[in-house]
Amino acid sequence: MKTAVVLITAIVAQALGDVCLTKGMKAISSLEAANVGSSETFSQVAHIALQALQSPMVWVGTLLLIVFFALFSAALSWADLSFVLPATAFGYVLNVAAGNYFLGESVSNRRWLGAAIITLGVLFVSRSGERTIETAPEELGAPGVLE
Amino acid sequence: MITALLIGLVVLGGSAGDVFITKGMKQLGEISTLNAKQLFAIFGRARTNRYFLIGVAFMAVSYFSFLGALRLADLSLVLPATSISFVITTVGARLFLKEVISPMRWAGILLVCIGVALISIPSQP
Repeated sequence: MKTAVVLITAIVAQALGDVCLTKGMKAISSLEAANVGSSETFSQVAHIALQALQSPMVWVGTLLLIVFFALFSAALSWADLSFVLPATAFGYVLNVAAGNYFLGESVSNRRWLGAAIITLGVLFVSRSGERTIETAPEELGAPGVLE
Repeated sequence: MITALLIGLVVLGGSAGDVFITKGMKQLGEISTLNAKQLFAIFGRARTNRYFLIGVAFMAVSYFSFLGALRLADLSLVLPATSISFVITTVGARLFLKEVISPMRWAGILLVCIGVALISIPSQP
């Protein structure tokens, strides 16, 4: 149950983070295209990076991806990597759906098929139990590990 | 040739990163608190855990190899090719973390790998 809540939150944070980053970066690059054209020079890359730092959407997206990584790592403190990694692949399915819904991206039949196959795979993995090895006995606040 | 090498680095770096991060997190012990102070303490220990840091370094190698590969090849080749990392990471988890991969789990992982490859091939214009 704990694993399900943590991983679902992680996946949703990742999908929303990707949408925010895409929205933010697309807004910047369309401004850039209007201003300078599309050739890639160093000063242009630096300019885009500076603009990205000023975009709230890019910040929110980055924060959400940090949340994803924190929750992903937390799940790895008790569950198998070979369980957590394929389970988070469900994020691809959410990304396809979110891209379609929030960004108006068109989705080909092949991509919907891919999403369906991933969903089936994640169902299989979730039926295989989440833990086959033991976490180290040191619990929270255990002495000896640095600081 | 260099593209294949870089894609290999993307996959191996990512898989090694995941394996090391898992080893580090398992060493820190199961996180079972929502207390902000305790979570912050765990973050502090993760930051100084050797395995965790090696894992993050491998992730960085993987990320920059990905950027490098994109300069030489199209995303339509690079992205589907990296979907094999689900299988490689599982092999790593079995070898180095001694996780037990049941046939059910293997089947699921192979389906995920195929699905991700299908999703990441871009649509023809």
